[in-house]
Parts: sequence; structure tokens; C-alpha cells
Amino acid sequence: MSDAKDSERFAMIANIWNSRAKGLIAEMGLIIERADPQGVQIRMPFNPDFCLDEEGTMLHGGVLTALLDSSFGLSNFLAINDVQTMATLDLRVDYLRPASSRADVIVFAECYRQTRHIAFGSGKVWFDTGDRAEVARGSAAFALTRGKGGLLEKLNTRGPGG
Amino acid sequence: MNLNDIQTRCDRVPFFRHLGFSVTEANDTHFLASMPFEERHIGNPMLETYHGGIIASFMEALASLTVLDDMASPPPKPINLTVDYLRPGLPGTLNTRATVSRKGRRMASVETVAWLEDEAKPVAKGLFHFLLV
Repeated sequence: MSDAKDSERFAMIANIWNSRAKGLIAEMGLIIERADPQGVQIRMPFNPDFCLDEEGTMLHGGVLTALLDSSFGLSNFLAINDVQTMATLDLRVDYLRPASSRADVIVFAECYRQTRHIAFGSGKVWFDTGDRAEVARGSAAFALTRGKGGLLEKLNTRGPGG
Repeated sequence: MNLNDIQTRCDRVPFFRHLGFSVTEANDTHFLASMPFEERHIGNPMLETYHGGIIASFMEALASLTVLDDMASPPPKPINLTVDYLRPGLPGTLNTRATVSRKGRRMASVETVAWLEDEAKPVAKGLFHFLLV
């Protein structure tokens, strides 16, 4: 497959993942900035609903955990050609700094190793404030089922609301 | 601990309202809470199961409450967490029990378990560390 075809396919996967998002992923209002098998970079706009305080000065750590988990999902879909289903086995997150900013949150996630049954993901989170100081770092393992007719294809063939 | 005081505190936290859980039991060693399923909690759009991050957030939220000296204390600082996902988070009311394993002057360690209908069949287990200073 040529590079151009590849990049189209990556864009399509990212587009399906985002446009068919439901629930939390839709609530987070994610903007995909980069999506290829080497990693994904996703932007999450500030949302006062995700804060610890009414003044909106501090994000709840759980939001960063959720953002990492979601990003691992997309990076797996891009890195693993024939992934049919995947389930998170475990997730580990270190909160490196207080999440005290109203700037957009940016996450980078990559699938850095895949075997027939397992995928390993790693990611980091920072605020879009210039210094890129890491706010959180996470890693996760996923159980894979490989085969034809993956989740994204199913999403793509089902109509809106289907 | 008084459940009304706990609820009042939870109601002041935007993200806790977003999760929408209520604490049903609280004593010195553990807290129990339940969270009704909402569309905004969905992770997998096909299966319409809970988002893993929502399960982790619910467990973290409850764990953070168990280490407070009282409901006027400032929130503890989360250090890190590990979550073990054991079963699919099917739509339904999710329950969580958070148990303080150790609470010292500076640090606290809290274990959590989340389940749908049967506590013996957990959906996830978690381990959370907090800095108390």
C-alpha cells in the first residue's frame, strides 16, 4: 500500500472513531491532531464539568485517566491491522503534576508492542501551555481478538443512530 | 460519617455530579456507593458498555472520599492508580466499595472493587495512592 493510501486509511479510521463516538468520548469533544500507527495525538478542550471545583481551577484526575484509556483505544486500532475486539486488561496512571490549568489538554498515546493476543500502550498528557510539562503518564495492556470485520468496519457500515 | 454531609460535599464537585453516584454507606474503614448507568458513561459505542475511564474515575472519586478526616478537609492529592478490568462493564447500576488499606500522616492507600449485580463477580478492581499533605 502506498504512503498516500496509508494516510487516507489512517484518517478514515480516526474519522470513524471520532464521528461514531458516543458517551464519554463524545462528551470530551476530542480533536484528533495526529493519527498513524506510530501514535495518536488528541486535544481535549477545557470542560468545567470535569473539574473538582465550581471555579474550574482543577481537573479531576479521573478525566486524564479516561482520556488516556480512550487514546490507547485509537492508537491500537491504527497500529493493529486486523484487530476485531479489544478489552482493557489493566491501566496504570501516574499523576505527575496538579491538573490546574484551563488550557486544552493534549494526550499522546502509542501502541509500542503487540503480540497475537496482547497489545501494550503508553501515553503522556500535558496542557497546551508551551512548556509541555507532563501532567500524567499512563500505560495499559489490552486483550485482542484478531480477525476480519473489526469494530471500526462495523461502525462504518451502521447508519447514524443505528 | 454522616451520609448527608458526604452527599453535600459530592454535590459541590462538578465532576462528581457528572458521574452521578451516591454514597450509601460510610464508616471508618470503607465507603460504598452506587452509580446509575447514563449514556454519557458509554465507552464502546457498539456494545454500549461503560467507558473504562468512567469506572476508574468512579473508583478514584470514592477512594478520595474515604481518606478524608472529615467532609470539610481539602481533597487529597492523587499520586497514582492501577485498575484491573475483570469483566465487561455492561449497562446497569455500578456499585463500588472503597477500603482504606493504610492511612498514615502523609500517604494513604485505598483498594476498590466495582461490580454490577454480584460483588463476587467484580467488573474492576483498583488501587489508589493519595498524598494527604
